[in-house]
Amino acid sequence: MMHRLINKIGLSILFLIISLISFSQEEVQDSILENLRAHSRKDSIRAKLLMDITKNMTYTNPEKAFGYIEEAIVITSQINWQKGTALALQQKGNLYYVMANNLEALDAYQQALKISQKLDDKIFEASLYSNLGNIYADLKENEKALEKYQVYLSMAKLLNKKSDQVRALVNIGLIHIDIEQIDKGISYFDEALTLSREENNDFFITAIINNLGIAYKRKKNYKKALEYYQEASELALIIKNKYIEASALNSIGKVNILLENYDIAGINGKKALKLAQEVDAVEWQADSWKVLSTVHEHQGNSKKALSAYKNYIQFKDSVLGEEKKVELTRKDMQFQLEKQEAIANTEIKRQSFIKNTAIAGSGLLLFVTIFGYILYKKKRDALEGKKIANFNTKVAETELKALRSQMNPHFIFNSLNSISDYMAKHDLDTANDYLLKFSKLTRSILENSEKKWITLNEDLKLMELYIQIETLRLKKKLSYKIKIDKDIDTVNTLVPPLILQPFIENSIWHGIGKKGSNGHIQIEINKENETLVCIVEDDGIGRREMTNIKPDNTSLGIKITKSRLDIINQLKETNGNIKMFDKVQGLKVELKLPLELRF
Amino acid sequence: MLKTIIIDDEQHCVDRISKLLSKYIITLDIVKICTNVDDAKKAIELIEPDVIFLDVHLHQETGFELLKQLSNIDFEIIFTTAYDSYAVDAFKFSALDYLLKPIDEDDLYCTIEKLKKKTSLKDISKKVEVLFHNLEDRTTQFKKIAIPTLEGLSFIKISDIIRCQSDINYTHIFLEGNKKIMVAKTLKHFEGLLEQHHFFRTHQSHLINLYYIDKYIKGKGGYVLMSDGTHIEVAVRRKDDFMNKLSSI
Repeated sequence: MMHRLINKIGLSILFLIISLISFSQEEVQDSILENLRAHSRKDSIRAKLLMDITKNMTYTNPEKAFGYIEEAIVITSQINWQKGTALALQQKGNLYYVMANNLEALDAYQQALKISQKLDDKIFEASLYSNLGNIYADLKENEKALEKYQVYLSMAKLLNKKSDQVRALVNIGLIHIDIEQIDKGISYFDEALTLSREENNDFFITAIINNLGIAYKRKKNYKKALEYYQEASELALIIKNKYIEASALNSIGKVNILLENYDIAGINGKKALKLAQEVDAVEWQADSWKVLSTVHEHQGNSKKALSAYKNYIQFKDSVLGEEKKVELTRKDMQFQLEKQEAIANTEIKRQSFIKNTAIAGSGLLLFVTIFGYILYKKKRDALEGKKIANFNTKVAETELKALRSQMNPHFIFNSLNSISDYMAKHDLDTANDYLLKFSKLTRSILENSEKKWITLNEDLKLMELYIQIETLRLKKKLSYKIKIDKDIDTVNTLVPPLILQPFIENSIWHGIGKKGSNGHIQIEINKENETLVCIVEDDGIGRREMTNIKPDNTSLGIKITKSRLDIINQLKETNGNIKMFDKVQGLKVELKLPLELRF
Repeated sequence: MLKTIIIDDEQHCVDRISKLLSKYIITLDIVKICTNVDDAKKAIELIEPDVIFLDVHLHQETGFELLKQLSNIDFEIIFTTAYDSYAVDAFKFSALDYLLKPIDEDDLYCTIEKLKKKTSLKDISKKVEVLFHNLEDRTTQFKKIAIPTLEGLSFIKISDIIRCQSDINYTHIFLEGNKKIMVAKTLKHFEGLLEQHHFFRTHQSHLINLYYIDKYIKGKGGYVLMSDGTHIEVAVRRKDDFMNKLSSI
């Protein structure tokens, strides 16, 4: 894993070096572990402790850390702490990343991103884009990497996070350098450098100057490259960052070899080697040995050159292990792709041969085929036409049936009967109130029945009216509550008119009507992404005791609702559905509709 | 005291309205009840009422025919109807008052309050004229709409309206000839009235007359260029319906 990190630096994605700050803090780790043992309840505190441990172990013992982070993921999902789950997933991604398992890391980061997008925590989301960019950059998927970094950059700008902007700019610059768009890369570095100077961030300044050296070396502008490396090494010395200093000194050595200044190259190589050994950085040691080996060779000291070269190979091998793995995966994919192309090419050749030889015969065949196709098309068109006609009939029939079910004769006559009953008992005010409500509802149903969609606001008012009328009929206490997700703009949200009415009717007639005591209906309207989730819940006798409703033979109203839903699904290519849940007491119906907005 | 005539062909309706009106005995004096057009015509000419409650359906005839036979209308008219959406629309377009049967006491209260203020009497013959204008032929679309402005009722040809734009609870109506009126009604109100005609709500704040579209410029939702030179946005969600409506005119 050490290699992996240093490798990162070697590939000059210098900024991951920041993570090194948390290197092996074993004492801290022990104290957290103790806390963890003391706190066995599976709550957010334990989850946080688990994440802390993982953070500490990420670079020292990632394999062991997996156990902790997996538990954190389980706990956070159980207690439905979404931010926690996302954070844990990000850490899981970090673990895989450190272990060079890019694909698994990618998966974990993407899962985290998906959750974070719901959370509206832009800072966290931005960090995930950075993670994803790093992975794609590693996989040399430059375009994808650029895309992620660009998102990261624009989010950082939006949040006015200077240091994140610098990270994004540098990483974008590095990719441009990698794909030989060096001037573009330099301009990104320059922008990053200006920002870092504004922020007085010495580490960033140093690292970026070192990167500028790399860029100019690529441009073969050795003079400028040397100036930058020199500045980077001096700054690194001041801020005591031996990694960057070793890297810069090695680079100075390499440029001087190219310029055939072997003495200077040798001095820098030695300095770099000493520093690299101090911080135990394998790749820098390899680099230094390579510089020294070349220098010795040119100075005619072949024995020293050979021993330096052996050292170089030894260190290089261990560094290369990781790099090779990535490279091999990439090459393997490319190979598979080329193989497929080759197969396709031979197939094309073979077919053109057959075509040439059979061209005469196929002329006739073609004619027959065309003729056949015309016949086939005619038939198909007729079928298609029939299908459309059938669909239209279904729409019309359903609309009519929907109206008929909303204007359920049972409902009408029971209401009238009930009114008459109130009158007979000389409760004329109630009878009058009942009658007015009844006529208002009837009128609204008739007016809305020709509409395909009405606003949620209007529909809920109708439902309220309906429930109020039924309350008068039942003569027992029927309470109701309508809960609407605060994210829903009821005036701008559309629903098919009275789509919930059959469920409410069911709850009242079969659920609560047959129950001895008072009843309660709760209507809940929620939003889930592009879906409107409507819930009708009652505390009636439930389905098990409903004698006239067998599980598979649901009421006419509900059947029609299903049919209406089918039509919507077909037209909108959605999958709205109805689900029923038996509660301990009562029934819960969940209706999912595509979220339709007016504007 | 306002002299009141009730015109309705069904006894139970007459009884109900009389009962409800008995609460307002200080304001209204029911002097006559008529059950057909001929009786009503005679009674109106004789009594010169201040208010009539007029049922739309009177046996084989209609309340409109009664009004047509009168040479002078200088009384308030409250139409009553059980269910006739076409007539109700016509009332709305003409700003005439109406009550739906069975009559709601709260609605009646509002109507009586309006009657007390006598504000609409000055426009009554104009309103009836617009009503007839719109009802000339049940198959064609309405031609005029009564719009309450700061100065009073304005009767505007629907075909002169280029577009309506919402401004919170107000609506600006842009007319042919660079005219503009501001109305203290929501855009939704006008949408309800005009959308069945050649109007379309393209956007949360725009209702346009489709006959005044010069050009439709494609885009996500796109926008339309109106003949008065304005660009009106079409909301993405309204695009499909908009195209359908455009192709139907």
